[in-house]
Amino acid sequence: MILARRRTSQLLLALITVLLASTLVFLYFKSGRDQTASYTHSRDLIRQLQQLNAQWDSEVLKARISITHNYDPLVAPLLEMTRLWTELKSRGSYHEATDQPRWQADQQAYEAAIQEKARLVDQFKSHNAVLRNSLAFLPTAEDDIQAQFNRVDDEGKAQLQSVATDTYDLLLSSLEFAQVTSDDRAADILVGLGKLAVNKELLPVEFQAPVDILSNHISLILREQPLVNSLLERIAAVPVAERLDDLTTHLNQDQQTADLIDHQYHRYLLIFSTLLVVLLLYLAVRLLRSFAEINRVNRALQAANETLEQRVERRTQQLKDAQSELMDSARQAGMAEIATNVLHNVGNVLNSVNISADLVSRKLRSSKALGLGKAMQLINERQADLGTFLTEDEKGKLLPGYLNQLVEAIAAEQQGMTEELAQLSKSVDHIKDIVATQQSYAGASTLLEPVNISALMEDALRMNAGALSRHHVTVVKEYARVPEILGDKHRLLLIMVNLISNAKYAMSNLTDRPRQMTLVVQPGADDTLQISVKDEGEGIPPENMTRIFTHGFTTRKEGHGFGLHSCALAAVEMNGQLSAHSDGPGLGAVFTLTIPLTLAGSPP
Amino acid sequence: MSNVSTYRLGLMFMLGLAAPLLAAPLDEALKPLPAVPTLDPARVELGRQLFNEPRLSVNGTLSCASCHRLASGGADDKPFSLGFDGKPVEINTPSVFNASLNFKQFWNGRVDTLEAQVEQVVISPVEMGSDWKTVVQNLSAMPAYQTAFSQAYPDGVTAANVQNALATYERTLLTPNSRFDQYLLGNTEILTTQEKYGYQRFKDYGCIACHQGVNIGGNMFQKFGVMGDYFKARGNPVESDLGRYLLTQDEEDRHVFKVPSLRNVAVTAPYFHDASARTLEEAVDVMFKYQLGRNPSQEDKDLIIQFLKTLTGEWAGKPL
Repeated sequence: MILARRRTSQLLLALITVLLASTLVFLYFKSGRDQTASYTHSRDLIRQLQQLNAQWDSEVLKARISITHNYDPLVAPLLEMTRLWTELKSRGSYHEATDQPRWQADQQAYEAAIQEKARLVDQFKSHNAVLRNSLAFLPTAEDDIQAQFNRVDDEGKAQLQSVATDTYDLLLSSLEFAQVTSDDRAADILVGLGKLAVNKELLPVEFQAPVDILSNHISLILREQPLVNSLLERIAAVPVAERLDDLTTHLNQDQQTADLIDHQYHRYLLIFSTLLVVLLLYLAVRLLRSFAEINRVNRALQAANETLEQRVERRTQQLKDAQSELMDSARQAGMAEIATNVLHNVGNVLNSVNISADLVSRKLRSSKALGLGKAMQLINERQADLGTFLTEDEKGKLLPGYLNQLVEAIAAEQQGMTEELAQLSKSVDHIKDIVATQQSYAGASTLLEPVNISALMEDALRMNAGALSRHHVTVVKEYARVPEILGDKHRLLLIMVNLISNAKYAMSNLTDRPRQMTLVVQPGADDTLQISVKDEGEGIPPENMTRIFTHGFTTRKEGHGFGLHSCALAAVEMNGQLSAHSDGPGLGAVFTLTIPLTLAGSPP
Repeated sequence: MSNVSTYRLGLMFMLGLAAPLLAAPLDEALKPLPAVPTLDPARVELGRQLFNEPRLSVNGTLSCASCHRLASGGADDKPFSLGFDGKPVEINTPSVFNASLNFKQFWNGRVDTLEAQVEQVVISPVEMGSDWKTVVQNLSAMPAYQTAFSQAYPDGVTAANVQNALATYERTLLTPNSRFDQYLLGNTEILTTQEKYGYQRFKDYGCIACHQGVNIGGNMFQKFGVMGDYFKARGNPVESDLGRYLLTQDEEDRHVFKVPSLRNVAVTAPYFHDASARTLEEAVDVMFKYQLGRNPSQEDKDLIIQFLKTLTGEWAGKPL
């Protein structure tokens, strides 16, 4: 929700930024679009066109007064003008769309004018060429006729004098006509031509051709001169220069308009910039304010932080207290565990103690010593005749034999009870050891002493002897010959007692086959000793394999789950390892203790 | 004072010695041929290929060079060249040489540029008979042209580019180094006395009124029959005799033609738009009679013809 709102505001901010930036760029380009150069260039082109146009006019006039016969200069300006015009036309893009039709109209007006002028100039060239030619020829033509006259004899000459004068007059009026073309002179020439035609008939035949030629050329002059003059006037009247001026004016107006727009955009840009500056100032003020706000909040945060630190300190102290309490309880729990452990082990030994005590009390109860009392009673009854009684009486004769038997029985009894008591005291010693060991846990000390493994195994078996015989367990011993080792006798014993006890329990429900337990002692790899207890009992399911050594794990109803756990711990404390293996439920199990084989006598 | 005059004399002496070596160009109404312009070589070469390309005509029979044979004066020797269909056209083929110096193209000057001339010839129903769409398609189909066009023009094969390439090539078709040009450039010894007299007659009789400038003609229109009705005398009028009238429908322009260039005139027979003059002599006679209205001596005509023969230039280093 907050994220979406933040994204929206970011988007909005970006949009506004883009909008402002594009407005600025737009205004910048609009105001910075400097078209002066473009207009100047176009006007420059038009100026060149005007120059060429003027040059063209002057070339026409030069041709008119026949300074030159070369008509190339009358062609070249038009070609150049066409080229310039194409260039000018290709630069029309800066006109406003609304102005385009007017601009095009102006262009078309110019094109029409230049076409008209080109047409007239072409006509002028044609007519002027033949006119100049005939005018140039006139004196020669006259000379030709005069030459004919000269050939005529004096008599004829006098006769033809008037004709010669007429011809000469005609020539003169034609030349004058070329200078000042007027209808009067045209009429004069027409009259002269008429006269020449009449005179021609009077002249000898050799005159015919030159006169014809002359009159033809004069007719041509008469025809062409007014035409050339009118063409010149029409050329002068073609408003090419005016059209070019129109274009220049148009460009000027366009530029003024563009400048106006330009100024307008400059103003807009100024206003926009001012607005931006105001906005910036506003934002700066806002920024300063938020800085103050941030500082204030920072200070508040710092204060809160300090309080928080105190609170954390307090809470840490509380936690520490709680932890020490917890540790106390843990210690107590640990002590409880140790106690449980001790009690368990002591319980195991107590079994043996019980059995021994039981046995001694039973023996005492059924002691043959009671028989001694009865015998003594018989003797006390016959104290007077003791001799007789012992020799004569039937019963008395048996008494000495009985007493002898009794002595033997009591001796045997005493022997058994002494053994049993020795066993009892051993068990009590073991209990003492257990307690001492558990006490030593606190110091975690290990007492290393020379241990005979087979003897230790026998002790362990004896501690479980009663139970084993009760449960009819056959013990198979496979002891390899191992030397006396340096070990923690008590821990080893504890482990063995436990393992044997467990094996016995594992086989307690076994009815279909003999209950056999195999004890194996053998040296292992890497200077280790392996002691294993194998049973044919219920076995261990794989799912239990992993937690079999954990504290509190048991499969027995009355079990605590301490035995194997403490055994495993003890094994580790001896730098050894306790491992279990079972082929599966019902297939028995093997527990193997692996400890370092440290020979007795070697330094620990 | 005497020092100065000595100096002047020395200067004049030196100038006098130097004058034949400098050979200053003559200032005449006839102008020497300009140098061949330097144009984009790729376009010129492309134009040369197109000039010889029969695919420009509708049935692949005619190229520009079919009628404008560079080896024979830039035109053919027929009175009327044959169109794509084998039928003769109505008007004599003008030379392609120095055509770029003419102020307009075609006998009646109906177009201003060589490009427009190319454009019209290709689509003319009696000349190449094609149309530009077909021409562009045909040329585009050839990879060699595709490559050449894309090298010469940014937009590849287009009608405008074909026309421009041809026109560009034609602008290089100048025939420099004619003896008369050498004369104009100052080598006055190159012409014989007879030829110089011929030039003088050419000017005196007024031929120069129309045949002048850089192309010795080709810069104005003139009525054929200024001093007499040539067509009436010739008889058998045809449409092409109308000249510019066909273009403008202006009575003024009836029988008006572009004045042809006299360069290479000795090798471009037959003469006139109707090819009516088979020899220079006939052409000169017609000119005198109908254009100049003069009656020259045979000697003058011979001199003029001798002069006209000095106008033959060179193409590809060889005289035409």
